[in-house]
Order: sequence, then C-alpha cells, then structure tokens
Amino acid sequence: MIDRFRKAFGAIRPEFYRQKHKHLDHYFTFTNYRKIWAISILVMGTAALVPLIVVTMIHYRLIQESVDSELILRTERVASNARRAVTFFLEERLNALRFTVNEIGYDQLTNPDHLAEILRNLKLGFGGLTDLSVIAQTGIQVAYAGPFKLEGKNYSNQAWFVECQKADFYVSEIFRGYRDVPHIIIAVKSFRPDGSFIILRATLETERLIQSLSSYKTGEHADIFLVNRSGIIQTPSNYYGDTFQKMSLPLPDFSPRTHAVMATDSHMRSIVMGYAFIFPQVCDTPFILMVIKQKAGMMKVWLQLRSNINWFVGFGIMVITVVVTITCTFMVNKLYLADKSKAETMALMEQSNQLASIGQLAAGVAHEINNPLALINETAGYVKDMFMIKEHYRQDEELLENIDYILEAVERCGTITRQLLGFTRKFDVKIQKIKLHDVISDVLIFHHKEAEYRNIKVYVDVPEDIPEIETDRGKLQQILLNLVNNAFQAVDTGCILDIHASAQGSDKVSITISDNGCGMPPENLTKIFEPFFTTKERGKGTGLGLTITYGLVRKLHGDISVESKENVGTTFIITLPVRIQEEVREHENPFGR
Amino acid sequence: MKILLVDDEKKFVMMLSKRLALRGIDVDYAFTGEEAMAKIENKKFDVAILDVKMPGIGGIELKRKLNGLTPDTKIIFLTGHGSETDYETGSAEAPYYLAKPLQIEKLVEILYEVTE
Repeated sequence: MIDRFRKAFGAIRPEFYRQKHKHLDHYFTFTNYRKIWAISILVMGTAALVPLIVVTMIHYRLIQESVDSELILRTERVASNARRAVTFFLEERLNALRFTVNEIGYDQLTNPDHLAEILRNLKLGFGGLTDLSVIAQTGIQVAYAGPFKLEGKNYSNQAWFVECQKADFYVSEIFRGYRDVPHIIIAVKSFRPDGSFIILRATLETERLIQSLSSYKTGEHADIFLVNRSGIIQTPSNYYGDTFQKMSLPLPDFSPRTHAVMATDSHMRSIVMGYAFIFPQVCDTPFILMVIKQKAGMMKVWLQLRSNINWFVGFGIMVITVVVTITCTFMVNKLYLADKSKAETMALMEQSNQLASIGQLAAGVAHEINNPLALINETAGYVKDMFMIKEHYRQDEELLENIDYILEAVERCGTITRQLLGFTRKFDVKIQKIKLHDVISDVLIFHHKEAEYRNIKVYVDVPEDIPEIETDRGKLQQILLNLVNNAFQAVDTGCILDIHASAQGSDKVSITISDNGCGMPPENLTKIFEPFFTTKERGKGTGLGLTITYGLVRKLHGDISVESKENVGTTFIITLPVRIQEEVREHENPFGR
Repeated sequence: MKILLVDDEKKFVMMLSKRLALRGIDVDYAFTGEEAMAKIENKKFDVAILDVKMPGIGGIELKRKLNGLTPDTKIIFLTGHGSETDYETGSAEAPYYLAKPLQIEKLVEILYEVTE
C-alpha cells in the first residue's frame, strides 16, 4: 500500500523534488527549489484565501447582526402586544369594580342579596370572578357574595388593605387561597358622602389571563409568562421554572417601556428576552411580563444557510488550494527546468572552453617544441653516425643502444606533437552525400581480421530507411575508426561490439557504438575528451585519440557523448545533422561551439 | 648529387648537412631565402630542401623562384609546423612534404627517389 502510494507520488513528483546534481549546483541561479515552491504556495495561497475568508466573516457578522436585531424587534413586538392584553385585562376589571362601587349605593352594596346579584352580573360580563366583598374603612368586611362565609372578617392589618387605602386601586400577586386555586385580588376604594370610604374587593381566577397570554406564544421555542417583582413565576412557564418558584432567568431592571435583550439562560442557550412591567393607568401591579425566545429555534433558516455557505466556502478553499498548488508546482518546475538547462549549458560550455584552451596551449607548445626536437634528432643522429663510422665505437653496443633510446624518444615526441598540431589544423570540410552503412562497413574492414582472431562479435544495425547524410566522409571515417579502435582495445576476447544507427527526428541521425568491455569509472568519464588523458600504459597511448575525435565531431556540427559503467561496458553516441552548412571556417577552433 | 638545404634554424641545418654529407651527398646550405637565391645563381642543384616558413622569402615563394631559374631542381618541403594548410599547399607545390623531426633514412630514400 505504502509502496503503491510512493509509486503514485513518484509519477507526479515534480523534477525539482529529486534535485540530484551536485556537480551542477554552482551553476544554478536558485539553490533551494523546495523552499521556493513552499514559499510561492504559501504566498499565493494566502493572497487568494485571505480575502475570501475575510469577506465571508464580514458577511457572517452582518447577517448575524441583522438577524439579531430582527429577533429583538419581533420579540419586542410580541412583548408589547402581550403587555397591552394583560394591562387591558386588569384595567377592564378594575374599571368594572369602580363603576359598581360608584354607581350603586352603599345600602344596596351591603345588601348580601343585591351583592350576589351584582356578582352574578359581573360574572356574566367578564367571567372568572369568584367572590365580591365590601369592606368598611375600619377594615371590617361588611358584605360578601361568594362561596365562603367571610362576613365580619377584619382586614385592617392586611397589606393589600393598607395599599388600597393609599392608592385607591389595588392589584395583588397571583397566590393560592383557601381553595388552593391560583387567583388575584383586585380592590377599588370609594368615598362615601360622609367622608368615610369603602373598598370593593373581588377575587379573579387566573384561567382567562393565562389563556390570553398563551395566545401570544408563537413557535415551540417561545415562552411567555408573568413573574412578580421578586422573580417568582406567576403563570406557567415551559422552560424557566414551576409556578410560584423563582424563575431561572435574571430579573430585568425596571423600565417603563417594553424591552428585548440578548441573554443566555441557565442551560447556556442563547435567548432573546423580552420583558415589560405591567402598570395600568390607575395603579401599579407586581407583574412583569416575560417573553423568551430561544435563538437556536428561530435561527434555523439562517443556520441552514450558514451551513450551506460554509460548505461552499470550504469547497472553494479546497479548489483554490489545489489550483494554487498545481500552478506553483508547474511554474517552479518550469523555472527549475530552465535553470537546469542553463546550468547544463554553462557546465558544457565551461568544459568546451577548457578543452579549447588546453587544445590551443597544447598545439602552441607542440609547434615550439618541434624545432628543438628536430635539432635533438639531428644531433643524436649525427652522434650515432659518427659512432657508426668509427670502428672503436661501433663495437660498443651499449653506447649505440643509448643513442637509439634518444632517437626513439624523439620519434615518440614527434608523434605527439604531430597529433597535437592536428587539433588546430584547418578543417576544410568536404561535404558529400554519404550512406552511413557504407562508411561503417569501410571502417570495419580494417578490423575484420582482428575481430575474427579475437572472436569479437560485431553487430551492425543501420535501418534501411535512415536518410543519407551530408557530411565529410573522411572525417566521419576517422571518427568511427577512432571509436572502433577504442572499443577493440577495451573489450576482451569473445566480447560484443554493437554499432547502431538511427534517425533522430527529420534532421539528425545518431550512431551508437557500444561495447561490453571494461567500462570506465565515473570520474574518468568527464575527462576522456581532455588531451593527454589516457588509461593506457605509459607510452602506449598519447591520450589524444578521443580529443581529436571530439574536435572532428564538433567540426561536422555534431555532438558526442559517452555513457559507461565499470565492468558493464561503454557507449559512445554521435549525433550528426542530416544536412550540414558548408562553411569555410578558416581559423576556427575545433573545440568552439 | 648536389642539394641545397634552406632553413632558418642554423644548428639544425648544420647538423643535417653533416649527416647527409656522411651519406655521400653534396650539401650546400643557406639560412635565408635571399642567401639561397645567391647560391643558386652560382651553382646548379639537383634537389632543394626548403623550410616552408622562414623570415624574408618563405619556402613557397622561394620554390616558385627556383622553378623559374632552374626548372630541373627538384623541391622537397620541410616544416616544423605540420599544419594541414601547410601540408596541402606544400603537397600541391611539391611531391614531398616532410615534417620535423625527420628520419634521415627516409630523407635519403626520398632524395634518391626524386633524382632518379
């Protein structure tokens, strides 16, 4: 599995990732392509992604704010309507009591039958009234209509009686009375003609109030209920506590207007809390209306939209990252390849220049040496002549042998200087159309006997359809002869020499000469075209054969390269143009490009 | 056989003259083209061995002059440079063109060959 992954990565891995060319390193303009790659991806990725992310976040914030303000507005509206309903409910009943106490005479009010009649009528008009009672200034209940026997009860010490004396109207909290049924007491004070006052008191059932409140409940996540000023829940709440228990939300500060704020409940849910203090025109009440909406429920649509946007942005980020990565990889790879080819060219040029200057120097030295060499030759020759003439010396074999050593050495030097001078010879290239097969056959004639004798198999493969090339026959022969000679020297008895020609596109041909001989170590491979580089025994080779070959190939506008592996073999590849521009290049250096 | 050896390398000329003389050849020599011209006016040579590159009158020019004066004198070129230009012009002008250092036996052989 890991191997397969590695293989897949190997196939798409960009060239610069395997940067392996220590010898070219100092020709490269940039050294660390992986770093350039990483930086370019980072910079381009950041430039592309940051605006997207920032805009998305601003957008989120704007939507969030507008959704919040919309929620607050809606909650406020609900709270405001509900408040009006509650206020109206209480006001209506207070006004009914006031009308009753003002309109009906004291005598009639204190008449139990008449009071029962009034209670019946009020029940018909408003419903939800349990009892009705009249209390004198002394706090003694003087008349009562209702299910209990409460006549004569003294209220003078009770809080509501004190309150009502002060404010003319009174609305109590919701509480459980003797019957354990939640109810509210409302009371109205009225002055009699003699200056004393009476209070008409009624007990209200809360059923209608609760119904009226729940009609404002919209959505399953909404809650609407009353609490008193100390936060005790008065009407049933779905989420924030039982009736007559402390509400689990913080008590809002007093405000004469309806308000809505963002808050968090005890379960850490985000909520919109609307509230209104209920105070009808005539008196204050202990009620605070609470309207609670859970944000999560109300923002479902927005959350869905946000999730869609998140997916889209996420996908966008992924696509941008992939595109940026591919683009950067491609560009950096192109840059790397351009840089690499530049580095290779520079390395090659440096090698060429080196070869050229060495060649020129060598030729110059050779020329200068030839004259003194000729003098040594003649002088030593003359000495030998003298010895040959004089009988005494002619017998001295050792002397003559030493003279011959000098002459041999001079002869060897002469060979070297002649070859050196060969580099700078003017090459008048004589162009003619030639068949590669013929040239190769001609060259091999020289080696026919040797191959037979040493049992070396020579395979020649020149395809029929290979084009005739325009080149200098003699020079090509010399090139091939040199290379075949080299190969014969490199292989042992029974080895194979393979000569193969092929067309390289429409304008080039290549000739490959491979042997399975001793091969060369890599360190020699770079030096083989240099003059005087030889691996042969001292005195056996001049180290000039391949240098001359190189010069000749360049002269024919071709290229020569070599591949070799120790103990596996060596391959020389010559590439020649099919058509050569005939130019007379008088003093051109054969090593120049 | 009378030959004229012309080269600006004095010691070389002296040495070669001695060696050729040892081999029974009558050698006269000159160190410049002008000197050679003077010698030719007084004496007839069978062969002239000329250095291609000399200060003053060079080998090729000298050969042309000699051809005019004594058409029978055979010419052998000699050079220390041995470049292909020299070789090609040389061999176009004369049948023999020898590079230094040379082998005396070969030179003698050629001398006999041209005078045959």
